[in-house]
Amino acid sequence: MSRWFGRSTVLDPAEAPVEETAPISPLLLRVAAKESAMLDGQVAFLQTELAQVDALVGEAAATLQQALNTLDARVKAQHRLALAVQEAMHISGKGIDSTEATATLSTTIVGTLDAFVNNMLEISKSSMKLVEEVEDIRERSDRMEGMLGELGEIAGQTHLLSLNASIEAAHARKFGAGFAIVAAEVSKLADRSTSLSGTIQDQIRGTREALLRTDTQVQAIASKDLNLAIQSRGESESLIQALDESTRKVRDLVAEMETNARLIGEQVGHVVRSLQFEDLVHQTLQACMQELGNLQEQAGAWRALRADLEGGGDAGQLLLRLSGTLDEVEAAQVRFKAVKRESLAAGDVDLF
Amino acid sequence: MGKCILTVDDSSTMRQMIAFTLKEAGFEILEAADGMEALDRAKGQKLSLVITDVNMPRMDGITLVQRLRALPEFRFTPILVLTTESGMDMKQKGKEAGATGWIVKPFSPEKLLEVVNKVL
Repeated sequence: MSRWFGRSTVLDPAEAPVEETAPISPLLLRVAAKESAMLDGQVAFLQTELAQVDALVGEAAATLQQALNTLDARVKAQHRLALAVQEAMHISGKGIDSTEATATLSTTIVGTLDAFVNNMLEISKSSMKLVEEVEDIRERSDRMEGMLGELGEIAGQTHLLSLNASIEAAHARKFGAGFAIVAAEVSKLADRSTSLSGTIQDQIRGTREALLRTDTQVQAIASKDLNLAIQSRGESESLIQALDESTRKVRDLVAEMETNARLIGEQVGHVVRSLQFEDLVHQTLQACMQELGNLQEQAGAWRALRADLEGGGDAGQLLLRLSGTLDEVEAAQVRFKAVKRESLAAGDVDLF
Repeated sequence: MGKCILTVDDSSTMRQMIAFTLKEAGFEILEAADGMEALDRAKGQKLSLVITDVNMPRMDGITLVQRLRALPEFRFTPILVLTTESGMDMKQKGKEAGATGWIVKPFSPEKLLEVVNKVL
């Protein structure tokens, strides 16, 4: 009996020398069978749990690696998009970006408004000149009217003198001196008429010149306003068109960046889910550690049995003690619950 | 200030992942490592939601749910259980203790936010 118990390992019950240990063999066989079954179960349990850990860690590592690769690609894509946005903000052919274009547009509009204000001032000044010119024309017209009246009087007097000259001419043979006086008066009137005619012509010339200046002023103002307005409008339209194109490109790129951000968010979600493997693996490893503790307890019980048997202890009592210890370990195993998660796929949700 | 959520788990990784997910959505997060600490943290706090694990040292999640439900200020506060436990018997225990819902680990951030917004 001592030779059998002195062996260093627990043997298959079939190997036990039944005829030598007949008095205790049924109990020994029962204990040995229980221990063997427990060990098998514990080994199987540990193998399962460790395989589960291996699977979880492998899946988590693969998922994290994939997520990081995707994140890296997405971050690079985001960087490229940011550069593209910057490029889109640059308006081709004008050497300015859209911010500069906006500033230029603003400056152009302000400049245009300034130009219009200045034009309004010039128009006001020109209008004043026009008023003065018109007043000058009116005064000249008044003077012309006065002169024309005087010419009428001269014409009347000339007519009377002409009649007188005719009368006196009838008597010329007797009073030639009187005719000479009338003729002299007619000559004076003719001189006055000539002088007035010249003055009127001067006034008319002046009037024409004033009207010509007025016309030139008005044409200059009209031409200046129209050219400036057309030029400003063209520049503004060109800038606005360029801004529209730039804005459209930026809008498209921003939409692409939003898609990219969503994909990055999904990858972050994968990372968050995969990192939870730490908790799952921790619980599984805790279960393994507890099971190893059970194995240690069983090994200790067997060591104690061997020592006590070698010390001459009652084999039956010692085996009963061992059996009791194994029962306690088994009961602990029944209470123990291991993590059942075998995948990192998101778990179910149940709202009560 | 956003609504305050107490998250209870003995795994710091889990607490961090929950906090990461919910803070991004604008929630304020309080953390506790077990049921006992959770009861202490909950005192005097106006919590909109409690998310608790089940298997924890000192006080497990089911007991925490029972203890919180016994407090008048947490009688109607939503409590979600977030655990690796997926058995029907444990779910039934959680339901009887007063839990609002049961989420099996691991969680996806999107799904957790959806559930949180649903119970709030």
